[in-house]
Amino acid sequence: MKFLIAIGSKEYSEPTLRLGMRVAKAFNAAVTIVYVGEKISAFSTSGVHLAQENLENWELDRQGVDVLAWAFKYLADNGYLSTESEGEGFNIGKLVQTDEDRCEVFLEGNHTQEVGLILRNGDIIQQLRDEVNKRAFDITIIGASKKRSMAHDLIQYIDSSIFVVKNYQPDGQYKMLLAVNDAPNTRKAVKYGVRVAQAFDLYTTAVTVSSTTDFRENCKKASAWADKFLRRSGIENEIRLEHGRFMEIISTIAGDNHIIVMGSSTKSPLAKFFTGSKPLKVMKHCKCPVLIVKE
Amino acid sequence: MLGFSHNFLSNFLFWVTRKRWLIFTFVISLLLFYIPSPTTLTPEGHRTLIIVVIALILIIGEVIPLPAVAILILILEVIFGIDTPNGVAESFMSDAVFFIMGSLMLAVAIVSQGLDKRLALGIIRMTGNKTWRIVFGFVAISAILSSFIGEHTVAAMMLPVALTLVRNTSEDKAVVHTLAKLLLFSIAYGCAMGSIGTPSGGGRNVIMIGYISEFGLGNISYLKWIKYAYPMLILEIPLAVIILWFTFRPEQTILDSAVRKLKIDVTKTGKMTGNQILAIAIFIAVFFGWVFLSPVLGLGIVALIGVFLYLSFGLIEWKDINRNTNWGVIILFGAAISLGIQMKETGAAEWVANLAITGLGSVVQNVDVLHWFISVFLTGVLTNLLSNAATVAVLGPIILDMGGNPIILGISASIASAFAYLTIVASPTCMIIHSSGLVKSNDYLKAGWKLFIMSMAVLFLVSNLYWPLLS
Repeated sequence: MKFLIAIGSKEYSEPTLRLGMRVAKAFNAAVTIVYVGEKISAFSTSGVHLAQENLENWELDRQGVDVLAWAFKYLADNGYLSTESEGEGFNIGKLVQTDEDRCEVFLEGNHTQEVGLILRNGDIIQQLRDEVNKRAFDITIIGASKKRSMAHDLIQYIDSSIFVVKNYQPDGQYKMLLAVNDAPNTRKAVKYGVRVAQAFDLYTTAVTVSSTTDFRENCKKASAWADKFLRRSGIENEIRLEHGRFMEIISTIAGDNHIIVMGSSTKSPLAKFFTGSKPLKVMKHCKCPVLIVKE
Repeated sequence: MLGFSHNFLSNFLFWVTRKRWLIFTFVISLLLFYIPSPTTLTPEGHRTLIIVVIALILIIGEVIPLPAVAILILILEVIFGIDTPNGVAESFMSDAVFFIMGSLMLAVAIVSQGLDKRLALGIIRMTGNKTWRIVFGFVAISAILSSFIGEHTVAAMMLPVALTLVRNTSEDKAVVHTLAKLLLFSIAYGCAMGSIGTPSGGGRNVIMIGYISEFGLGNISYLKWIKYAYPMLILEIPLAVIILWFTFRPEQTILDSAVRKLKIDVTKTGKMTGNQILAIAIFIAVFFGWVFLSPVLGLGIVALIGVFLYLSFGLIEWKDINRNTNWGVIILFGAAISLGIQMKETGAAEWVANLAITGLGSVVQNVDVLHWFISVFLTGVLTNLLSNAATVAVLGPIILDMGGNPIILGISASIASAFAYLTIVASPTCMIIHSSGLVKSNDYLKAGWKLFIMSMAVLFLVSNLYWPLLS
């Protein structure tokens, strides 16, 4: 599997990197860490490139290199890099410019085959979308954003599962909330959830929500299947069948101490664009990390 | 849905959301096209203004590449029947475009000589280690240099000097964040103020000179421009230092160890090389060419002679020039100038000028002040959203058609296009300092609005009290 972790700064991205790397380790996935710098106005590209080339002559780093250096140090300090890669240190000379707005360096990892560090510039959704399309990532991991349209754009346009690391407290005692229904993505979501729960030893609640007191037969079957799968995987769990408003129930149960895992919406892209979706609402309103699993 | 795959719909929606300004432009242009032409405006003028609206939205939104906007302007000029293909081609290329092309190439050649370390040493020797004196040195040197060689060249050379001083002061960003802002804005705003000093300070100065000459309103020589603009530049330097100092007052009032470390770093580079001396000599020759030969050869050809010399003496390789020259911007400025000329010839410029005067006539009663205010304020605002050269290329013909003294209004507008203090996208220098990651977008407004008002006031005084003495 391939994971893409987007980081923004040393100050705010530590929880994203920490949780992202732990989850990647659980999946034994290859990891690429990407920093996306701000878009450069088309009028200024040559001026900025000229200034950046000049900075190299003074042995000064361009924006973002310090964040990648910090990420490298985090990986090295926490044993994610091979001894050889760690010994070589973070060498800016190894960053290879692959196109005008992208450069990369690949390192040998300890738990995965490789760990990539990438520097990009431009609109963050466009850049993440390009990266995911180009290298077929399975999960994109990113911190929560204050920008309102970010959650929508991530779900709508990034062609991978999305893990938003929201309000993650590294020392907190987390549980897992699995949202289960009869949609085809649920099985994949449960399987992903199990991997995470095993890695973090999380108590898991599998919740099936119906708007009425009558539960569809397929939903009951999906809930029973999830229960069986969780038990077989050795996950301590409880199964809940709740009726009422989906968002209210999920956010009440999740609080701020759960990692929510759910399948992506099966609505058409047009319907999602105009009316939104349950995963989008969960991502916007819940106060804890959310993993949306796409098919 | 509708037989389309989810993947197709998702890609389509992504395109729509990213290109919404393009769709908006298409809808607006269709609406404008089918609105009957005002009786006081020719059909060609009406269609020219539609192209102006399309170009402005596409440039500000940056939804398609700049060269694509340029190509669209040229295509529409022909399709809308505004001019013949040969006429459009003739208006596309001018000495101003040669100058912009030449000055962008000169910038690459000069930056690659490694003269920035000498520059750093020169500044530090002059200013010593007191922070306010260093800030004064940064603003003054950036302003004076950028009055001759183009602001983004100077910003590219000065940026490492400022960042080295910041790094030498402390590696902890929290400790030096105000100092970093102070030094970086000293460079960006110094460069912006300096770019008004001579015609070669910025492409838009040359565009305005070209319009004044092309429309038969007079001739402005290199030295005449300096007489008009340089005193304003000198007046602005201390005022800008005061504004910057009180906006970003740093904790570090003396940069003793940082300056010492910088001196040690810089002196390691040794004596000036033969190539560096030759590079300076060629630039001085280009400068004298601009002063004495430009009436005959044009500013653009003189700049290209400089590029030819740099290439011939092996001071720069073509691949470096090719890689670092923004060809898209050159094509766009050519198209914008072509559009400006069509605005004049179709009467669109005069129509907009009359509209602006009528509209603002109730606000400002004095006609001369009204003309001046429209020229300067409109240019000052638009330059913060658009490129300054594109602003002058589009607004120039309108301003020159407003009546009043075209020399005073033209130079005023060209100078106002340097008031690009308010946004990151206002000029390449603002973007260059932003690329350091040490300044945020709201920092531009903190000091920018004060500098904007100060510059407007100084320009008002200089254009009303000093310029009349020159004519």
